[in-house]
Amino acid sequence: MRRVLLALSAAGLLGLCGCKATPPGKMERSVVVAAKHRLFIGNRGQKNPQAATAKNIADGKEAFSHYCVVCHGMDGQSTGVPFIDRISPPIPSLASGEVQQYTDGQLKWVIDNGIWPSGMPGSKDILSDDEIWSIVLYLRNLPPAGSQGVPEMYTH
Amino acid sequence: MKKKFAVLVLSLTALLFAVALSRPTIAQAAPHRIEVTVSKFNFAPAEITVKKGEPVVIVLKSADANHGLRFRDLNLDVKVNKGSTGELSFTPTKTGNFAGHCSVFCGSGHGGMTLTMHVVE
Repeated sequence: MRRVLLALSAAGLLGLCGCKATPPGKMERSVVVAAKHRLFIGNRGQKNPQAATAKNIADGKEAFSHYCVVCHGMDGQSTGVPFIDRISPPIPSLASGEVQQYTDGQLKWVIDNGIWPSGMPGSKDILSDDEIWSIVLYLRNLPPAGSQGVPEMYTH
Repeated sequence: MKKKFAVLVLSLTALLFAVALSRPTIAQAAPHRIEVTVSKFNFAPAEITVKKGEPVVIVLKSADANHGLRFRDLNLDVKVNKGSTGELSFTPTKTGNFAGHCSVFCGSGHGGMTLTMHVVE
């Protein structure tokens, strides 16, 4: 019994030693991105019920500012996020092809449900459907990187 | 004779004006006031019914934090600070069911806060 416990503890310690946040390789990343786009992220066909008006995009920017900015920055491109180079899996720029190639319905799905185990949380019921759809509009109309400054919580 | 007739006509006209002006004006119907209390994370009541064409005032009272009430489809929005009261005045012009949501982010249940307004004939 003692030997079993010892072996389990040793295995656990070795496992912990392996728990280090390292960036994924190019191959790993491309496989995961393809799997997300084609297999795991649903709701491909749903259309955004909101039109891309200046008012709706501004609503999206406001809703985005509630807490998305903690990881994604005010501009959706992680400007001013202090841990952006130390998180794994990495947080993609929301202006990147990796994100922009999702359909509107998929972006809604991601915001609703999050992406396990990336750290992206689901926001269903934390934000209303209206707010989430307006955020999708904001994501499609992101401002230039760095143009929105640094999230307020990182300024003091 | 002509002068007397003119004076008579003028007097009658003045009298008619005086009577018309002195009649009490018919008061416009008072708007339908509905009190709604908002707190984390609901509206009470969660459903209200109003009539198309009837002026309405939703009196929104915050019980705990900053909140708001927005009917996106109707372009109506009011925000209230913690413990204060705000009013949303409007006259519904179309029937249907309209969902209002909290328009000030207030925490983990914010997105599920809904006030359903039924507008009937």
